[in-house]
Amino acid sequence: MVKYAAHITGIGPLLSEFAEAGILVFFGPNAPEELTEFAVIHDGQALAEPVVAGDVFALGDERYRLLAVGEVANQNLAALGHFIIKFNGATEPEMPGDICAEARSLPALAVGMRFQFSAHG
Amino acid sequence: MSEYKKVRIKKGPKGWGGPLVIEPKPGRDLIYSVTGGGIHPVAAKIAELTGGKAFDGFKSKADFSEIAVAVIDCGGTARVGVYPMKKVFTVDVHPTSPAGPLMRFITEDLFVSGVRPEDIEVVS
Repeated sequence: MVKYAAHITGIGPLLSEFAEAGILVFFGPNAPEELTEFAVIHDGQALAEPVVAGDVFALGDERYRLLAVGEVANQNLAALGHFIIKFNGATEPEMPGDICAEARSLPALAVGMRFQFSAHG
Repeated sequence: MSEYKKVRIKKGPKGWGGPLVIEPKPGRDLIYSVTGGGIHPVAAKIAELTGGKAFDGFKSKADFSEIAVAVIDCGGTARVGVYPMKKVFTVDVHPTSPAGPLMRFITEDLFVSGVRPEDIEVVS
């Protein structure tokens, strides 16, 4: 079951500051400009159901298992289309907004690329 | 002569940084709420006490030079660093500590976290 799906509509010029640390920052279309500099901007709409550990994050053709979801991550996603995903293999979120996923390399991001969260299965 | 009042904002339970003293000035009086769900109660309280203007950063655009203080509900990685990097006073309503790629910009003189409405008081 797909919980949240969107297409990338923009990529901030300073995204690599975070991507090099294995972190991607996502914001929905209404984010102020200063936040989009570091972020992936997307056209996501409603969150169907809260994202939980064990779900799968698909980014282009890659699939990453979620290992931990911080306590404010779903609130940020539902309200702002905002989430932070750390590809660090951690099973405890370091920060309350973190979504932690398997530590694997990231695909090259491009406008038009699809991503989604879905329940495992 | 100023119609604005100064407030002192201290960290809340498990918070970090501050205290910050915020005093809006003409042309720099926005209490810039970059939070989910509209103006956050902490931003509303700062605006009420200082006479600054509560402003929803997700609805309208403002220049950094117009921002007296930014109020964020950041979970710890992105917004937490962006505003201090721009030398904007930043209040996080979540009790975060400096972390992430932008942590070098997050300093006690610019940033305070874990803030609740009762952590804000008028100073003369």
